[in-house]
Amino acid sequence: MTEQRPRRNDVLQGTLALLVLRTLSAQGPMHGYAITSHIQRVSADLLRVEEGSLYPALHRMEQDGWLRSEWGTTEKNRQARFYSITPAGEAQLAAERESWERLTEGVGRVLRYA
Amino acid sequence: MAWYHRLRNTMRPEGLSSELDRELEFHLAERVDELVAGGMTEEEARREARLRFGNPAVQKERTRDRDILPWLESLAADVRYALRSLRASPGFAVVAILSLGLAIGANTAIFSLIDAVMLRSLPVERPEELVRVTTPARSGGVGEGGDNFTNPLWEALRDRQDVFSGAFATADERFDLAGGGVSRPVAGAWVSGGYFSTLGVRPAAGRLVAPADDYRGCPPVAVVGHGFWRGAYGGSPDVVGKTLSLNGHPFEIVGVAAAGFSGVHVGRAAEVYVPLCAMPIVQGGDDSLDERSTWFLNVFGRRRPGMTTDDAGRRLAALAPAVFGATVPEDWPTEAKEGYRRTTLSAVPAANGYSDVRGRYQDALVALMAAVGLVLLIGCANVANLLLARASSRRHEVAVRLAIGAGRGRLVRQFLTESLLLSLLGAAVGLLLAAAATRLLVRYVAMRGERGEAVWLDLSLDGRVLAFTLLVATATAILFGLVPAWRSARVDPRGAMKANDRSIVEGHSRFGVGKALVVGQIALSLVLVVSAGLLLGTFRRLATLDPGFEPGGVLLASVDMGNAGIPEEAVPRVKREILERVRAAPGVESASASVFTPLSGGGWNGMVEVDGYTPASPLDAEVFFNGVSDGFFATLGAALLAGRDFDEGDGAESPPVAIVNESFMKKFFHGANPVGRRVTIKGLFAGDDEVLQVVGVVRDTKYRSMREEPEPLVFRPLGQLGGPDRPSLELELRGRGAASALVRTVTGAVGEVNGSFSIRYRTLESQMDASLARERMLATLSGLFGGLALLLAAVGLYGTMAYSVARRRNEIGIRIALGAARARVMRLVLGEAGRLLVAGLLLGGAGALVATRWVAPFLFGVAPSDPATWAISALALAAVSVAACALPAWRAARLDPNAVLRAE
Repeated sequence: MTEQRPRRNDVLQGTLALLVLRTLSAQGPMHGYAITSHIQRVSADLLRVEEGSLYPALHRMEQDGWLRSEWGTTEKNRQARFYSITPAGEAQLAAERESWERLTEGVGRVLRYA
Repeated sequence: MAWYHRLRNTMRPEGLSSELDRELEFHLAERVDELVAGGMTEEEARREARLRFGNPAVQKERTRDRDILPWLESLAADVRYALRSLRASPGFAVVAILSLGLAIGANTAIFSLIDAVMLRSLPVERPEELVRVTTPARSGGVGEGGDNFTNPLWEALRDRQDVFSGAFATADERFDLAGGGVSRPVAGAWVSGGYFSTLGVRPAAGRLVAPADDYRGCPPVAVVGHGFWRGAYGGSPDVVGKTLSLNGHPFEIVGVAAAGFSGVHVGRAAEVYVPLCAMPIVQGGDDSLDERSTWFLNVFGRRRPGMTTDDAGRRLAALAPAVFGATVPEDWPTEAKEGYRRTTLSAVPAANGYSDVRGRYQDALVALMAAVGLVLLIGCANVANLLLARASSRRHEVAVRLAIGAGRGRLVRQFLTESLLLSLLGAAVGLLLAAAATRLLVRYVAMRGERGEAVWLDLSLDGRVLAFTLLVATATAILFGLVPAWRSARVDPRGAMKANDRSIVEGHSRFGVGKALVVGQIALSLVLVVSAGLLLGTFRRLATLDPGFEPGGVLLASVDMGNAGIPEEAVPRVKREILERVRAAPGVESASASVFTPLSGGGWNGMVEVDGYTPASPLDAEVFFNGVSDGFFATLGAALLAGRDFDEGDGAESPPVAIVNESFMKKFFHGANPVGRRVTIKGLFAGDDEVLQVVGVVRDTKYRSMREEPEPLVFRPLGQLGGPDRPSLELELRGRGAASALVRTVTGAVGEVNGSFSIRYRTLESQMDASLARERMLATLSGLFGGLALLLAAVGLYGTMAYSVARRRNEIGIRIALGAARARVMRLVLGEAGRLLVAGLLLGGAGALVATRWVAPFLFGVAPSDPATWAISALALAAVSVAACALPAWRAARLDPNAVLRAE
């Protein structure tokens, strides 16, 4: 179904984890919906998390031990699952951030000089 | 980590599913809110939110992909696939499962013996709280010490102790159910009042012996065991109130003990429990309850909660002076009394009761466990080899699967699943074999108690045995499955798909592992066969050892006169009458009486003094004694070397005399004829010394066990032993025919004296046999395992060689086509096998050097390095190996080069 939808600025595969980790690291515990809204807002609508990929990613990251989650109540008094980053997640964030920066730097150099 | 999550998710699939639903619903709701706030109608918003999200069901599936279900599904697929591929090659499956089944079964069988003898806790309440009261090494005290107590000591301890929440004393007894004539023995136990309540055993019917039953002068009551109740009374509840005749005295059955409980003596199932206070009834006045130097009770207690065994020991030690001080034997000399008073008490854990079988068989069982471990390794090597060969023939299949995208890890997993399946099937076969084997073992080959009695063990399958088998099976699967699995998955798909392997000469690398396995198998087999050979040699030597007498045709009879109420002063006369009647009975050639029959396991020792001999230490002057009637040596067929036998004249009133054996003559008289010389027997206390005159010398005879070196022995006439004459008599009878033919006439002759005497029979040969039970078990089982090892190794070698010939078909075909003689081809194959054999024998020789050092303590009359045993073992292996290779070699030689070369 999602296949048929136009895919503007969907988040690159593999960078979703980086974005989620960064968001949780900076903002503290958040539920899934808030994470998508936050990424969209902070990137000034440049990036949009495909909602269908978010939850599988969150669950995988929890199983990898980067996140932990617990149920809580939102300000609208709804039950939601809040995710927060673990120390292992922080370490992963640092690693992914570095590799991302190297990648962008590399790509940038190629675009500039090649 | 992932495993943990999978497991957790499986535990609550419902919960997981609904959590996911809730989470996704929340997301949708938030999105709808936002869209509505942006101006959409609620309905539009809901539609849009769903569209953005995608199909929730698909979403859920994708999220759950991390969960257990797919994993389980792929496992199920693996198992299905493994089953299919085993069904596709039934020959392989049967050989593999049988090899594993035999090996695992042998392991389970020996382990369940170890479990039953050494590990299993008593089937009582919180067995770990039970401790046994002991008297640690006595300082200069007199008496037996160790683990047994006198009844006065037990009563003193019982009345003073505040250490235990409950305590009890018990002793083994063999009751006689028959009122006279041939006895019907039943294993029983004397128990103090606290026995059942302390153990926490419940009645299956009626009530059990309680503290209120245990007082001096108590009426005769008995509790029967569950097995006895089922066997003798058909499990009928009206057994309560019935009368049971024990040694001719009526006892009222008050209840039945719970199923599964058979006393605290592991290896001996008590069928009848009688309160200690009823001893005077059974023993007819001559009871042990007030004797301060009759040590026969085993004392146990239950620790109070929170108290350790050491605490209990310390508190018992604090009680010891009072307990021993109150029970000093009056007739002991002062110095011995002092030693008695200084005796202390201690406690040892007793969760698994006590057992003489444990002490006798522990080491043998551990050695057998090691042997079956080796058998298992050999079996593993076999299956690994089969799998390797199979892996080669499955290369094509593997290559296809790799080529269409199967991961190597996935393939390894699948091969390991197959291995695990094989070994679990093997374990199932093994469990069935073991269940049958352990029972046969215990009944026919295995164990005998201290006095040669049959051993009863609880061999029901328990969790520990099951867990052990499962563990062995899993370890086995990894052991034999990992290397083949890894090698299989390493196949290069291009190479394997191409040209179907039509190279001329088979590369050796692939095959190295298989050959190494065969070498290992031969080596391990040699270790087992040499050890088994040594143990068999030991048994053969012991069984054919000259005991110094002729056991054939000798019947032994124990006459118990306790039921008849014979006054003590009449006992010696009655015994003489029995002997006379028996001697006159038809068919009896000669008969005698003695304190101990040979090789019964019992013995009596003491110190002697001989003029002209200075002992190196007090122990050096220790010799064994026996009291015998006239005719003892003639009946046994032991030759008198000098002097005379005892005769009617050697009675209580005549001068004390003795007959010594050869060893005694050599040691104490330096080989000189001792007839007419004196031997002084040191009494327990000063002034009790007795001086005997030697009247004869007899050949050395085995006394307590076949293994013993000839020991100095002194025989004394029964009539001169002094002391109370117990109302029981051991007879040796030699007839003209078979020993068992005498039973009827002897029973009749004894019955003429008194109909209520009971008699227990066995032949001297069976008594000798029973004394070799442990050696027989070791020899039989290690021989069996050695044979099994040979068989497995032969199968392994055959498989490897047959496979090697099959792979070298092209090469051999070309050789033959080029003119190689058939004999040369056979040599080629046999030479290859020979190299494996020699390598295996060398390796095995080194292993056997180590192993035989372990076996040495069990050996008798055979050196661990016995050249004949080693040579025969190596030859046996060589013969089996040649036999295993003959068929493949012959096939290679018969190969038709035309067929091979045309085969493409």
